[in-house]
Formats: sequence, C-alpha cells, structure tokens
Amino acid sequence: MDDSTKHILQRLMRRIPSQMLQTMLGKWAHLSREDLHSLDFTQPKWVLTEHLLALCEENGLRVKHITELEMIYIIENPNQGMWHGFQLLDAEEDAPSIELTQFKEQFKANLTELISHVSIKIKKHTDEAIWIRVAWGDNFTKPYHLKPTYVVHHLQTPYVFVTGLTSKYKPLLNQTEFCHTGLSSGHKIWLYEGRSPQWTEPHRHQRPSDEAVPTDPNIEKEQAENTENRLQMACEAFGDGTLPQLQKAVYKLETKFRDNSNKTLTGREEPFRGVVEFASTNLLESLRHCVSSGMASTPVTPLLSSITQKGRNYFVITDKGV
Amino acid sequence: MMLYLTTFPYQDSSCIMGKREVQIHFLTLPVLFFSVMEERKSTEETPRNNALAQRRSKSYRQSMRSCVEATHLTYTSGLLTALRIPRSRKAPKSCDITKQVDPDQVALLVKKEWQLSYVTPLYQFRHTQLKSYSKQLSAFMVSEKQQGLAIEVGQELGFKVNFSVVLGLAETDKDAETVFIQILSKQVFSAKDAAPKVVWSGWLTCVNGDLDYLRSLPLEFVSLPLFCTRGPESLTVLVKTWFEKTFDCCFGPLGINSTNLQWLASLWTGCHPTINIQYLKLVWTLPTLPPMDVTYTVHPQDAWELWDSMRQVDTTEDSISIDEVTGFIKGLQSHFFRHFRIDLSAGSLMQISTALGSSHHSGKIKIASPNYIPTILQLLTECALLKMPI
Repeated sequence: MDDSTKHILQRLMRRIPSQMLQTMLGKWAHLSREDLHSLDFTQPKWVLTEHLLALCEENGLRVKHITELEMIYIIENPNQGMWHGFQLLDAEEDAPSIELTQFKEQFKANLTELISHVSIKIKKHTDEAIWIRVAWGDNFTKPYHLKPTYVVHHLQTPYVFVTGLTSKYKPLLNQTEFCHTGLSSGHKIWLYEGRSPQWTEPHRHQRPSDEAVPTDPNIEKEQAENTENRLQMACEAFGDGTLPQLQKAVYKLETKFRDNSNKTLTGREEPFRGVVEFASTNLLESLRHCVSSGMASTPVTPLLSSITQKGRNYFVITDKGV
Repeated sequence: MMLYLTTFPYQDSSCIMGKREVQIHFLTLPVLFFSVMEERKSTEETPRNNALAQRRSKSYRQSMRSCVEATHLTYTSGLLTALRIPRSRKAPKSCDITKQVDPDQVALLVKKEWQLSYVTPLYQFRHTQLKSYSKQLSAFMVSEKQQGLAIEVGQELGFKVNFSVVLGLAETDKDAETVFIQILSKQVFSAKDAAPKVVWSGWLTCVNGDLDYLRSLPLEFVSLPLFCTRGPESLTVLVKTWFEKTFDCCFGPLGINSTNLQWLASLWTGCHPTINIQYLKLVWTLPTLPPMDVTYTVHPQDAWELWDSMRQVDTTEDSISIDEVTGFIKGLQSHFFRHFRIDLSAGSLMQISTALGSSHHSGKIKIASPNYIPTILQLLTECALLKMPI
C-alpha cells in the first residue's frame, strides 16, 4: 500500500466516530472474521488505525477497497455535508427502464469520455436509491480521493442530490446522461439545499390534528376561529408534521410597481426590479409559522405555496405569473 | 458655605448627653448655578437589548450635579424630546474629503468594518499629550499581560501604540479633533527587520455634535462620543479600561436602530445620481420559529426612482424629512407585501447595504466611499450623544 492510500485510510478513520467503527468494518467485509476479531475496539483510535493499516497491507487492499468503506459510511450517515437537490426535467413517461448494470456502464463510459482520470463507484442502496461516488482527476493526474463527489438518485422520483461538487466539475457531471428511465440531466432546476439527500413531499392534510391540551371550560379564546383557519391554511400550503429541511428560497421580481398612494411610480412601464431571498435553518417551518401566527395574511399567496407544490426554490416572478 | 451655630441646652435626665453640648450644623448651598442647559434625555425608543450601565463617572457627576439637581428628570416636555431627535437632515453632498483630510488617513477609515460604541466626555484629555498617551497605553497593556489578564495569543513580542490626530473631520469649532489609535505588534516568527503589523485600530470622533450640549460642557472635558473599533475584542477591552481609568469616562455599546438604518438607506439611495450605489440591500429578521431572514435587494435605479417620488415638491433641495424616509421604506414594504402578503414590519430591519457602505443593527458600520463620510459620521455622532447616559 503506497503512502497516499495509507493517508486516505487514516483520514477516513479520523472521520468515522469510534462507536460506529465496528459496524462499519463489519459491513465492509474485506477483512476476514479472524482479522476483525483481532482488532481491539477499546484501544484509542490511533492504535486501532495502525493495526488496521497493517491488516490492510497483509490483505493487499487497495484504494478502491478503502473508498468502498467511505461509501458505506456516507450512505449510513448522509447528514454531514451540504446536499444540493435537483429535479430532472423532460421525464419521458414511457421510456423503458434499463438494467442497473447497463446504467453503470453507460454512466462510467460517458464520464470517462469527458475526463480520462476519474474513479467511479456506483452502488444501489436497498431498492430506493443509487449512490454514485466520483473522485476527480484530470488528464495528467490520478483521481484525488480526499474530496469526492457523491450523487444520490432516488429511483422512481425525478430528484437527484449532489454533495461535494466544485464548480470546476459541475459541467462535466451535467453532461453525463442519467439514462435511467430516460431522464435527461441536461435540464436541471436547482431544487433545494440542505443537510439530507431527501426530498419528501410534505403531507397535505385537510385538518391539522387536534392538540391534546386540556382546555378549561371557563376559558374562551376570542380569536379561536381565526387562529384555527390560519393554522389550517398554513398546513395546507406547507404541509403537516415534520417538513423537509429547506434553507433558502429566492424570488426574482420583475413586476411593475403598483401602490395606490404613490402616483408617480405606479404609472411606470418598466418593472420594479429586485431579488428577494428568504433564509432560515428550516424555511418551510418558518413560513408555516409565519402564516399560522398571522404575520402573513391568508390566503397564502401562490408565490410561497409554490415552493412545496412545484418542488422548487428559485422563481422568476413577472406580471404574467410565476 | 454658611455656618449655622445652634446650641441646645439639654437638661433632661433621660437624655444621653448630660451636659451642654454645642452642635454645629453645616449647610451647603451651591452658590453658583450653571445656566440651565437643555435637558438631555435619551428618550428615543429604548433599544430592546439595552444593557446600559447607568453608572456615571465621578468627576462628571460632580460637575453636572448642580445642573441636574436644579432640573428634574421627571420633567419631560414632549416638545423638548421632539427637538432632540432630528426630523430632518441635510441631504448629503458629495464632497472631496481629501481636500480637508490627508488621503492616507482617509484610507485608514474607509472600506473597513467598524464596531461602534459611545463614550462619555473625557476628563482632561489633551490633544497635545498624544505621545505620552501612547507610552502609557502600551505600558498598561504590558502590565495587564504580565498580570495574566490579557487573553491574547501569546505570540506577540510586545505592543507598540500609536496615537495620532486626524485633522479635518471636525465640522464646527466645537467639535474636537478626531483621534486615531493603532496597536502594532511584531510576530514572534517574523523576520528581524519586518515592520510590525497593525493588530487593532480605533478612533474617537465628534462630527457636528449638538452645539448646545457641547457648549454646556465644562472646560476640562473633551467630548468625542463616537468610538469605532476594529480588531480582537480583548484588545478593545484593554483600551477601554485604560481610557476609563485615565479619563474617568464610561463606554457602552452603540447599536443602530431601525430608524437610523432607514435614514442611512435613504441617504445612500439619494446619492445614486452622483455615484452609482449598484444595489440597495435591506435585511429584515422575522420572529418566526425558527427565525427567518428576508433579504430584499433592489435595483439601484428603481430604488432611486422610488426615493425620488417620495421627495415632496415643497421641501427644499437640501433637507430630507423623516416622513420621506419612512415613506420610502413603506413603499418597498408594500411592494413586498403585494407579492408575498407578509408584513415586514412584523420583523425588524437588521442590516442595510449599498456599494457606498453598509450598516448593521448591532452597531457595525462600513463606509466604502470617502465622499460621504461627514454625513454618516454626523448621524452616528448624534446616535452616540443620544445614547449616552446623562
């Protein structure tokens, strides 16, 4: 094992928390049972790392095996980096779905055509998602394994999530075909940015669940009906229960200024240009609270409810509509 | 002082003092009354996170005592309060500041973000003693470090302090000249003859301060109410402690409230015809759970046209009134409301920025263009004077 491989393994060992090590190495399945038993997980991590390095040398393990371990770790713990979600357009409904092996070959072939030194690993996780790990090199250097890009494509959905992709390699990934179910990755809309590579459609309930708060018969809430209505509209627009973690929504406004109190500007032909950005640790949660507490007037404007309905967070608003 | 002698003959047996005692009472009547200066009340809206220490420095208190005792703090005439907070300002005129101030010194002030504080008047501060102050402050810092109080990374070999005067920023003859302070230090592993680097800088200034207030100050006091700092917090604390010890003054944090942010936004937008502001960005924070930030970036030409439409025909070119400012911001808010049906006044304006500068609610200011320095500093001096405890 050369130095760079050792370095990759050492870095990986530092990343994986001690309590998960045993399960990870078990899943990895590149070490024999005796080897696994010989590792003492109560020792400090650096001692363990040295021992593991020795075992890997003995077994003649190489970079591709180490990267497998990394992939297992990332799949189990995806909530570490920032994931950017995309929605693939032009989904052809009757496109025949292709075999996974065929997809793997096509993807690898496509990407290696564009850039000769890449290391690609594709894995199907349960039945729901395809995980792809790409380590980038260029025409002269070997792939750099310390900053890989991970791509997750949830089958049966048009959503793709990417993490660790620098702008240098973005166009290359864009050009490769996601041939599975005929989706073209050339037309992507930036959907979302968050900690987990999942986009769940928020549920739409007609009525929010009743709170189990014991109410004193002598207390009458004056605004009960209004509060109830607002809460209902908020849930209709944004969903009930736990919401996906969206962090930002951007609206580019190109509408005309129309304010009755301002005669001068109202007559203007040109749009009043501006960009509005909403940001929060959990944006949908904030917006829902905004509506239910009355900061936003009901009915909820279609501009805001479009986030969940259309599954997008970047909009251009013109006088004609969204 | 007048002395009153009284004698009380005690002949009661129950009394403690059995024999004749003479008790002398002193009554002090202040003979001198300072002319009643305009009552200073910092009664603009109390900032929400106001942790004002109401402690007044001793000498300041003693000098002001006569005035304060003569008037009552409970006497608040609405009219007086209204006079304190300006309802109109002069429109900023682009001026070539380098004609008044040395361009190298201007470069020290612009394009950097400063944290603001206010400071009460300095007792017996002399602009002629700056060299001595430099030595005193650096000796103070060394002694504090030796005591283990300075929480600084111990890589520096020693501090060199530099006090200097920035001439030309003062607008009236009552404004004291601006004082600029730099702390330099050499890194342990730097080359032998490498120049020491500036690790901290700060400046005290007063631009167009309220004339009545400045005239009422006793002669030993110098008022430089605005203190701008940039650098590690531990050094800022050291400098403030030294000032407090040496000049018997008192520092406090200066935030920029929503009204002043709106003033700054309007003043800067108004400059667009002369110098391209490139964008007008306003950031509100709404109190949702979790809190949400709304950033509205307006195209500069459109922002300027909205501002221009607010400028009433009958006001003079020169002055801007608060109504125009609030109208401008309300216009932006209503355009926002038309789209999102969210009322931005439910939140608070936290930050505004243009290419000419930016400002944050927590008391940060960055002036990017030197041409409008006097206007901005005047607004900030005013904030500092209003925030100071009497």
